[in-house]
Amino acid sequence: MMDAGRHPRIKLLAYSEIVSVSGYVGNFSVRVRKKARYVDESACTACGDCAKVCPIVVPNEFEVGLGSRKAIYIPFPQAVPSAYVIDHANCLGDVPIACGKCRDICEIKCIDFDQQDQIINLDVGAIIVATGLDVYDPSALDEYGYTRHENVVTSLEFERLIDAGGPTGGHLIRPSDRKPPKRIGFIQCVGSRTLSGNGDPSASSGQRLSRGRPYCSNICCMNTVKDSLLLKDHYPDTDISVFYMDIRAFGKGFEDLYRRSKEAGVKYIRGLPGEVVEDPVSGNLLLTVDNTTQGRVEQHELDMVVLSIGLVPSEDQAHIKKLLTLSQTDEGFLLESHPKLKPVDTPTRGVYLAGCAEGPKDIKDSVTQASAAAARAQIVLNSDKLKVEAITACVDREVCTGCGLCAKVCPYSAILADSKTKMIAQVLEAKCAGCGACSAECRFDAITMRHFSDAALTAQIDAALAENPENKIVTFACNWCSYAGADYAGVSRMQYPPNARIIRTMCSGRIDEDFILRAFQLGAPVVLVSGCHYADCHYINANRWTQKRVDRLWDRLERKGIRPERLQLEWISAAEGAKFATVMREAERIRQGVTPEEIELTRRVLAEEG
Amino acid sequence: MGENVTFKCLRCGHEFCGVYDTDVERMCPKCRSNSVRRVKDKPAPPAHPPKK
Repeated sequence: MMDAGRHPRIKLLAYSEIVSVSGYVGNFSVRVRKKARYVDESACTACGDCAKVCPIVVPNEFEVGLGSRKAIYIPFPQAVPSAYVIDHANCLGDVPIACGKCRDICEIKCIDFDQQDQIINLDVGAIIVATGLDVYDPSALDEYGYTRHENVVTSLEFERLIDAGGPTGGHLIRPSDRKPPKRIGFIQCVGSRTLSGNGDPSASSGQRLSRGRPYCSNICCMNTVKDSLLLKDHYPDTDISVFYMDIRAFGKGFEDLYRRSKEAGVKYIRGLPGEVVEDPVSGNLLLTVDNTTQGRVEQHELDMVVLSIGLVPSEDQAHIKKLLTLSQTDEGFLLESHPKLKPVDTPTRGVYLAGCAEGPKDIKDSVTQASAAAARAQIVLNSDKLKVEAITACVDREVCTGCGLCAKVCPYSAILADSKTKMIAQVLEAKCAGCGACSAECRFDAITMRHFSDAALTAQIDAALAENPENKIVTFACNWCSYAGADYAGVSRMQYPPNARIIRTMCSGRIDEDFILRAFQLGAPVVLVSGCHYADCHYINANRWTQKRVDRLWDRLERKGIRPERLQLEWISAAEGAKFATVMREAERIRQGVTPEEIELTRRVLAEEG
Repeated sequence: MGENVTFKCLRCGHEFCGVYDTDVERMCPKCRSNSVRRVKDKPAPPAHPPKK
C-alpha cells in the first residue's frame, strides 16, 4: 500500500466512490466523488493530537466493534494516506459551543470543516475491479448462539483478539470474564457449503441465503489451521478442537501446515455441532456433536467457540455490476469472461477483475490475479489501435423510429438512443459485442447484424424446411454453448434423432420471433430455441431476453390456437452433450405427436396473419 | 422478493409452484426441462397456508 501511495504514476483516491462510468475500452470516462474528510490529507502528519482531545467515542469498525475510536480517526494503522478523517455522522461539528477541539489543537491547521465533496473526472483506458468482499453474518444460525453467548466469536473477531495491534494487545481473553480461555473450539464451514431451503423452489433468495452460501469459501480451513498453530505457539497448554466437514488443505505447503497442526496436538473432529449451549454460571459452552469418524455422539465443554465464517460478495457488488455492465454468478460474485481462457477479463472489454470480487480466494491467488489483470490492462494501454468485434449491429437510419427499445435490451449499453426525443439509434461499435438482442427486439427491422443478418438466417430456415418439413426439428443454437454442446454430442458419438436442423446464431438473444413463426409457417412441427445457461451467458444477460421473447411467443401461439408445446426452450452448456442428445430425443417425441392436420392449420393461421 | 406463481412444463406437462424471478433459470423439477411456462390464469397457492 505504501509503495502504491508513493509511486509517482499511481494516484490513490482514498475515501472516494465511482459515480458513473461511460465510454468503452481505451476510452472510459469515470466520474469519481471524493468525499470530504474535513482534514487536508496532504498536510496532516498523523500526530494524533486531534484524536486525543476528541470527546466522541464510537465502536471501531476495523476492530469489529471490539475496540473503540474517536470521531476523528485513522481507519486502521496501515491506512494510506496516513491522515486523519472526521466521521461526519458522529462529530459534534465546529460550532464553538458544541466542540471544535480538534481544530483548536491542530498546530498545522489542517482541519477544515468547510471541506466539500469533490467530483473528479478521469479519462482512463482500462479499469480493474478489486472491490473485495464481506464476511457472512452468523446471526441467522441460532443453534450456534452467536447473538446470545458472549464467548462465541467469529473468526474475524478472533483475529483481532490475537493480533498484537488489536484491542487486547495480542493477549487472548474470552469476552465474558476477560480470562484466558483454556479450551477453544473452532466450528468450520459456518455460512459456507450450505444448501438452504432444501431445494424448495418456493423459497425466496433471502431465505435460501440466510443460513449460508452453497460454495466453499476457500480460506477458512487454512485460516483455522494457522490460528491453531499460532495458539499452540503462544499458549501451548490450550486444548484446541476443530469441528469440520472436510479439511480442504489444497495449495503449496498447506498439507504440511495441517500435518504440523495435528502433530502439535490440535484435535480434528469430523462433525459439526448441532447445538451450542451456555452454562449461565461459568459462561462455558457445551457442544453436542456427532463424531462421524468415531460413530458416536459426543459432548465437549469449551471456554470459547470460534465460528469460522465464510465469505460473501460485497454489498455494493450489484451497483458495480450496473456501473460497468458486468455479469454476476448466482452467488453474486462478478463473472469472468471465461473461467479458463479469460479468467481476469469481463464481458465488457477493458474491464478486468482482481481478488475476491470475482470469488473467494486467499492472498496468494489475489496477488496472482491482480498481476494478471494489470498485465491484461497493459495490453490495452500500450496499443495504438484496438481491434473491434467484426459482428456488430448496424442501424438503418431510414427505418429507425427512435423508439429506444434496442438501447433498453443492449447488455453492453452500446446503443445511444432516446425514446423521448425520438433520437435515431446510434451503435458504438467499440462497445458492441454482437449478441444481436437489439436486432431481434427491433419491431421495425431497423437493425442488421453483420454476418448474421435477417436475410441470411431466414434463408437457412427456408433451406432447412425446403423438403419434408413435417419431419424436421428446427433448432436454433447459440455459438458458445448449445452449438458447442451439439458438437460435443456429435464427437462423443451420442445417438440422437438425425432430423435436427441446427441454425447457429452468436447468442440465443439474436433469435427473432419472426424466425420462429416463419419456421412454423413453412411447416416445422417443432422449433427448439437453445442457449447458454443464465450464469454462462457470453453476452452478460442477453439470454434473459430470449426467455422473455419465448414467453411472449408461447402466449401468442396459444392465442392463435397453436400448441405452445411445439416451441421448446433449453439452456445447454458446451459440456452438456448428453443433455443435447436427450433434448433432441424429447423434441422428436413431441414431433411425432404433431399431426399433419395440425401443421396445416398452423400454416393457414400464420398465413392469414401475414 | 419474487412473486409465487404456478409453472407448467411444456415437455412433460408437470405443474408446480415457484418464485417468479427473471434472473433465475426455470427448470421442471420432474423432467429437468427448461421449457417451463408461467401459468397466468392460475394463481399459486400461498407458500404458507394461514393458520386456522
